[in-house]
Amino acid sequence: MSKKLSFQSAASLFIAAGLLLITIFLPWWGMKFYAPQYQEGLNIIVYPYKLAGEIDIVNSLNHYIGMAQFSEESFPELQFLPWIIAGMALLIVITGLLRKMSLLYGLIGLFIIGGILGIYDIRRWLVSFGTNLDPKAPITVDPFVPPIIGENTIANFVTNSYFSYGSFLLLLVFLLILFPLWKERRQ
Amino acid sequence: MKKLFSGAGGILAGLLVAFVFFGSSSLGAEEQALSSENKSNAEAVYVPHGEHDEYYLINSGGHSGQLFVYGVPSMRHIRTIPVFTPDPATGYGFDKESKEMLGGYTWGDLHHPALSETNGDYDGNFLFATDVANNRVAAIDLEDFHTVDILEVPNIGGPHCAAFVTENTEYIFLPTRFSLPFDTEYASLDDYSEEFRGVMSAVTFDQESKEFDVAYQVALPPWSYDKARAGKRDSSDWAVISTYNTEEATTNLEINASQADRDYIVLFNWKNLEERVANGEYEEFNGEKMIYPEKHKGDIYLVPVAKSPHGIDVSPDGKYFIASGKLAPAMTVFSFEKAFEAIENEDFSGERNGLPVLNYDSVMEREVDPPGALGPLHTQFDERGNAYTTMFISSEVVKWEYETGEIIDRQDVYYSPGHLVTPHGDTAEPQGKYLVSLNKIAKDNFLSVGPSHPESMDLLDISGDEMRHLMSVPVNPEPHYGQMVHRDVINPFHVYEMDESNPYAVYDQKDTRIERDGDNVTVYGIAMRSKFIFDAASERPDVIEVNEGDTVTMHITNTDFDQDIVHGLGIMDYDLNFEQMPGQTKTLEFVADKAGVFPIYCTNFCSALHQEMTGYLMVKPKE
Ligand SMILES: [Cu+2]
Repeated sequence: MSKKLSFQSAASLFIAAGLLLITIFLPWWGMKFYAPQYQEGLNIIVYPYKLAGEIDIVNSLNHYIGMAQFSEESFPELQFLPWIIAGMALLIVITGLLRKMSLLYGLIGLFIIGGILGIYDIRRWLVSFGTNLDPKAPITVDPFVPPIIGENTIANFVTNSYFSYGSFLLLLVFLLILFPLWKERRQ
Repeated sequence: MKKLFSGAGGILAGLLVAFVFFGSSSLGAEEQALSSENKSNAEAVYVPHGEHDEYYLINSGGHSGQLFVYGVPSMRHIRTIPVFTPDPATGYGFDKESKEMLGGYTWGDLHHPALSETNGDYDGNFLFATDVANNRVAAIDLEDFHTVDILEVPNIGGPHCAAFVTENTEYIFLPTRFSLPFDTEYASLDDYSEEFRGVMSAVTFDQESKEFDVAYQVALPPWSYDKARAGKRDSSDWAVISTYNTEEATTNLEINASQADRDYIVLFNWKNLEERVANGEYEEFNGEKMIYPEKHKGDIYLVPVAKSPHGIDVSPDGKYFIASGKLAPAMTVFSFEKAFEAIENEDFSGERNGLPVLNYDSVMEREVDPPGALGPLHTQFDERGNAYTTMFISSEVVKWEYETGEIIDRQDVYYSPGHLVTPHGDTAEPQGKYLVSLNKIAKDNFLSVGPSHPESMDLLDISGDEMRHLMSVPVNPEPHYGQMVHRDVINPFHVYEMDESNPYAVYDQKDTRIERDGDNVTVYGIAMRSKFIFDAASERPDVIEVNEGDTVTMHITNTDFDQDIVHGLGIMDYDLNFEQMPGQTKTLEFVADKAGVFPIYCTNFCSALHQEMTGYLMVKPKE
């Protein structure tokens, strides 16, 4: 069990750490809203450190159904998420340097837990925004929870939620972390 | 009796069958040809949903004081731009800035829109227009199609043949239609020739600060200046103006200004005039730098032309200027090159009002007289050496080659065309694809709306050898001149950007407030879908409370940064209404001189709850 990881495995981990850092600056998840007068679609794009897209316009429309306003302040995760990612990258680098199998297992475990937490977090916000509607809003709609991936219809809007480049790269990072398992098993 | 009826019925039915059968068979071919031509014309002008027209046509609105934007080839009316006339639809003339710009005038006679140019072609930055009625010039910013500056020009009498711009928009020239008493505000018409002058102004426009300035003026003889153009390419330092009433008549001009056999084209070198001004060779006059051409010779010449000319146009290559007769049936082509030569050789036939008159025969290139064509007015060009001239009296457009004078085609229009316009048709780079004739009379072409019929436009396809009439459309009065510019040249923006340095703008609801300073109440409010917030901290955030006699200033920001979401704010019984475009902050100022409760409401339909977008102006009566 104390067998050291090969250099190829370590290289794979270093690449994973580098790519993980890059994901900080890429969009991870998004939602696009379509309506008859918004054929071009309105975007909410979530980066680990910021929100992008037509947030103000989405907010000005959401107030009709009494939905809380989106803003970077309303998502505290955006303040510390980049640091968690950077910390994770650091752990990967350390594992690569020490080339210890046990650390690798820990890393994989952390990644899986982090992924589950991340998806749970998105889900939690979707539930919170979709169900905590102001009862005094001009338009009354039933509480709703948009899916994490896929289509949903609310009032005159069709929403499309999707994972974006950052998440795809994240998946690649995960595969690169798994790579040593396969590599070392063959030897 | 019954038999009689059925007999008559039978005969009628037979007649009907015969008529339908034979009638239709004898007319068939012609009708079919007509219907397929109509169909292909309809296809030529049809712009499907989601697609855009190829050209903007920006038409002057004459005494409506407005500009009208159409799309070509669909001929759809897209926008009205208020310039010299207040416009409740956009709140123009009600908010503080535009109200100050209009200076208390409620109308203007908007003539001859002129797009700004770079290297002799439209650059899509600004459009200028003049007000013949009140001696003004206006600039319209083509980034948002709104009027940004109006200048009232002193010493002039109706800038009719303006605005015309030089090749790189160095100057916008404003020669005037009426000559007026010069040194004095009142002079007897008996002393017209001595005391009156027709002043021309050279105006500059700073595209950064978006402001006009009068650079200099020229005290021309007391004649009427009718149409004008700047030269192009080799002639770009020069400009030409047509004149009438060189008779210097003061009454019944219809007859008295039509007596002399020849009137003149004024040919002047604006670069020379500019230099003269730089050298201080001018006199201060009524706040302006005035040049007296009889004292400073060498910049301005007269070219004799058939009596009472109207249109004058410069060919795209800048080689020729073409004058059209109005009363004479012919177009006269003059050569710039020959004129320069005549000036050099002092080939003058005399002098008039201190200005040298060039020898007609030395400058004239050819006279073009299409048989039976009457009343030539204005000429535009394509890129293939063709000129297109409107014939007011014979209601047609004549296509001819300006190098040879050969008549190529003639096309009826409906009716009495004044100006005409081809894409970039007065620039050095015309695009001869379409031609729009701006007609003064429509008569019975459209559904009747009483004794007054609309003005109209004819759209022709001029891409081939023969002109093809595509359609006629009724239009807003009065299409006086227009310019057609390719859509790629114009780049409007869609939402005003946040301007944190604007002290009147409020972007956050929490910052809305109403401040009182003595009798002055200032509102820093926002308009958003679908409410007004004047003071977020107040129990009723959409209510403004003032005392009778207070001066109220409302700075309202539209915080919907969303294309096409426009809010308007109207105050009942106060004759007030102004608009805020997406992201824009505008200011309204008024005295609350009527006590009572006055509903405020959004005038520009903005959303499903637009009807609820209201508030109150509460004016407490004086004790
Ligand atoms: Cu509104």
